[in-house]
Amino acid sequence: MIKITQWTVVCLVLCLSISTAFSQGLSPPANVTAVDTANDDGSSITLKWDAAPEDSGISGYQILRRIADGDLEEIGELLPAGTTTYVDSSIEKGSAYAYAVRAVSETEATVDSEQTAPVKGTGEWFHTGKISLFTAMLLFGAVIVWNIYYARSGKDIFVRRIPGLEAVDEAIGRATEMGRSILYTLGLGRVDDVPTIASMTILGQVARRTADYETPLRVPCRDPIVMNVVREVVRTAYLDEGRPDVYNEENVFFVSESQFAYAAGVDGIMLREKPAAIFLQGQFFAESLILAETGNSIGAIQIAGTDSEHQLPFFIAACDYTLIGEELYAASAYLSREPMLLGSLRGQDWGKVLIFITMILGVILELSGVNWITTLLQKVN
Amino acid sequence: MKRQVPLVLCFLFGVGIILTRFSPHPYSQFFYEEVNSWVLIITPFALVLATVTLIRAHVTRIRRRTEYWQYSFIVFAGIITMVVIGVPYGPQHFVFEWLFNNIQVPMDATMFSLLAFFIASAAYRAFRARSFEATLLLVTAIIVMLGNVPVGDLIWSETSSVKQWILNNPNLSARRGIILGVSLGVISQSIRIILGIERSYLGGGD
Amino acid sequence: MLDKLMNMDRRIVFILVALAVIIPTKLRVNLPISVSEPTQKLYDYIDNLEADSTIMIAFNYGPAGLPELHPMGRAVLKQCFDKDVRVIGVTLAPDAPTLANTLMEEIAQESGAVAGKDYVFLGYRPGGSLVMLGMGTSIASVFENDYNGTALAEIPIMENITNYDQISLLVDFASGNTTEGWINYANTQYNLQIASGVTGVIIAQMYPFLQTGQLVGLIAGIAGAAEYERLIDAPAKGMQWINIESFVHLLIVGLVILGNIAFFIRNRQEE
Repeated sequence: MIKITQWTVVCLVLCLSISTAFSQGLSPPANVTAVDTANDDGSSITLKWDAAPEDSGISGYQILRRIADGDLEEIGELLPAGTTTYVDSSIEKGSAYAYAVRAVSETEATVDSEQTAPVKGTGEWFHTGKISLFTAMLLFGAVIVWNIYYARSGKDIFVRRIPGLEAVDEAIGRATEMGRSILYTLGLGRVDDVPTIASMTILGQVARRTADYETPLRVPCRDPIVMNVVREVVRTAYLDEGRPDVYNEENVFFVSESQFAYAAGVDGIMLREKPAAIFLQGQFFAESLILAETGNSIGAIQIAGTDSEHQLPFFIAACDYTLIGEELYAASAYLSREPMLLGSLRGQDWGKVLIFITMILGVILELSGVNWITTLLQKVN
Repeated sequence: MKRQVPLVLCFLFGVGIILTRFSPHPYSQFFYEEVNSWVLIITPFALVLATVTLIRAHVTRIRRRTEYWQYSFIVFAGIITMVVIGVPYGPQHFVFEWLFNNIQVPMDATMFSLLAFFIASAAYRAFRARSFEATLLLVTAIIVMLGNVPVGDLIWSETSSVKQWILNNPNLSARRGIILGVSLGVISQSIRIILGIERSYLGGGD
Repeated sequence: MLDKLMNMDRRIVFILVALAVIIPTKLRVNLPISVSEPTQKLYDYIDNLEADSTIMIAFNYGPAGLPELHPMGRAVLKQCFDKDVRVIGVTLAPDAPTLANTLMEEIAQESGAVAGKDYVFLGYRPGGSLVMLGMGTSIASVFENDYNGTALAEIPIMENITNYDQISLLVDFASGNTTEGWINYANTQYNLQIASGVTGVIIAQMYPFLQTGQLVGLIAGIAGAAEYERLIDAPAKGMQWINIESFVHLLIVGLVILGNIAFFIRNRQEE
């Protein structure tokens, strides 16, 4: 008797659920597909299904997932109606998963789609969405390398005059005449920041010249690794000039990692030692004007250079010469006049010409209603 | 040999890291993360070296009685206090917090606020109508300075709108030009470093 | 006389700036504040978030940035707590944890927000871009515990949060270039929406990102903080300080005009 009652209740509940589902016209999500997400490291699978009609009565979707011989389990939260894709990022790499999508009505009636075929997440070796970026990189790289070889063949390369770099000798000469030191700061950059490396190459050239005149060169550093590399740069420069005796390791020293403690430290050195020439080359932030104004107040000749474009106005206002943006990177070629470095500068200009052509072409095409260049560039990520 | 090894390593890691940006494969990402972890590991060693340098520099100053050598004692007092409290008890300890809030915060804020004074003196010196371009700069600066504060709109109701237009258009165009040049410079410099053409960062040009 | 005026001793300028700050502080002036578009955008974005959404706030500034960035942090936190938007705080600056934790606790207390349920401060991790990238995969892989040492698994607010997919917005309060990092690593790679609040010195640096839509909004310096305080109708230090700043700006404009008048007169005399 009890068994019959239990069966009746179960049947009634089933019938009620089915009838509710049908009475609301709830149909299972159609064309559910699960594929390995393209261009990822294999850590996700993407599900897609057809959009349900507006009057379908569906209030949300629940994703169900099954691993190998296991049962279907709910994953994630209820997705809002209108959703047609889901990216499952909670998979284990190497395992195969089958999926189903459950449509849920406002009365919480449910109906499941058919299960998809099992699918594994695999990592791709090449991100196909980055083809245009990769091509541009290769193209630009090739242009620079070609120009470097062009320069090696001995052809003359014109470089426009950069006043800030022309003034390097003047600044060193002035310090030597006055019998005062030269202060060189590389800013706040780390050793892996390109402007810091560019600054080191300028420092190498400055150190060579100071070695000849025996002018003290003081380099306060903010980063300990930078300090060590800088010591090597200065030491080698002195060695190359045949003046290792003039090199004093204590002149390249660590001040502080803290931005403003560093600024205070360098300001203090400026006020106490009153260097005749100050080089501010590298990456700078809010401390740029604090350093440059203090240098200005002691009457030092100041040559600044940075690619931090937001600090350029401060340097221009307070320093005698400023290397603007890319001029900082041109410095090593300009000062050393080495053909290979000059060749890369020429390549850089070619790159600029390519960008200008693309921009002008893009504007013309966009104005004529053709927008493939814009679409292509928007895809570059 | 001393130069060749770093140059070869630079080339291999440089090219390797570039390729990881185009390859989402787990091996490639593992390589990228691993190399970055190595960079992080190097930092503490360098910091020890820097601390030693700092201590040595100040000991020398005290020994030689150079100008203002007394201040070097403050450096040592600061280092010892923060290490003694910070290392065993951590930054949440109330003494550490007190020192931080009542010494470091005001000192850092003071250094930063020097900017206000320096901006004023630099602006006074720099903004002179010496030429057409300088006059343009002067007028623009005045509009942006006034547009950034409420008093600007009291003087002329359109000041903040004009300021916004200046920032959104002429400012942005000029900045984009500089950013393009800088980016190309960075790429070119990176290629030179990876190919071993630019090697002065290793100490010297040869 | 003209030469003296043109080459005014910088110490006189410093004294004038100090007076332009001190006098209005005592006068307590209240000037009307108009809200700029970038500030309005961020306010609207948070205002349109559903209750129980989660945002992440990165407090990337040390003591130096505190006067400018604390007021905006205060205003955004207040808006979030009042709207029942949950907040996860992090920092990439070693000298920020104490400041950020104190600020979050203070505003939570004012707004009745509960630690662990409505907000959590995860603290500091070194590594910059690695932290940004790491949280894109799993926040727990970067921060195992919160600032107080509680395991992430035991914090209710973190229950359904795995990575950026569950974060509606990241607001970066920065005195350096971290916002560019968030855009490069979190927005480009993980599609996380980014907004920023920065110090006055680096405002111009943010405009390219604002125009491209990579930043959903921007609070620019103390002026932005004052605008935000007006939007949430809670006047505080931002509104007080922007009034003072007005006088300093007026002083600088006055000095620049004075210097130019002297410059013109001297040029005339020389001609």
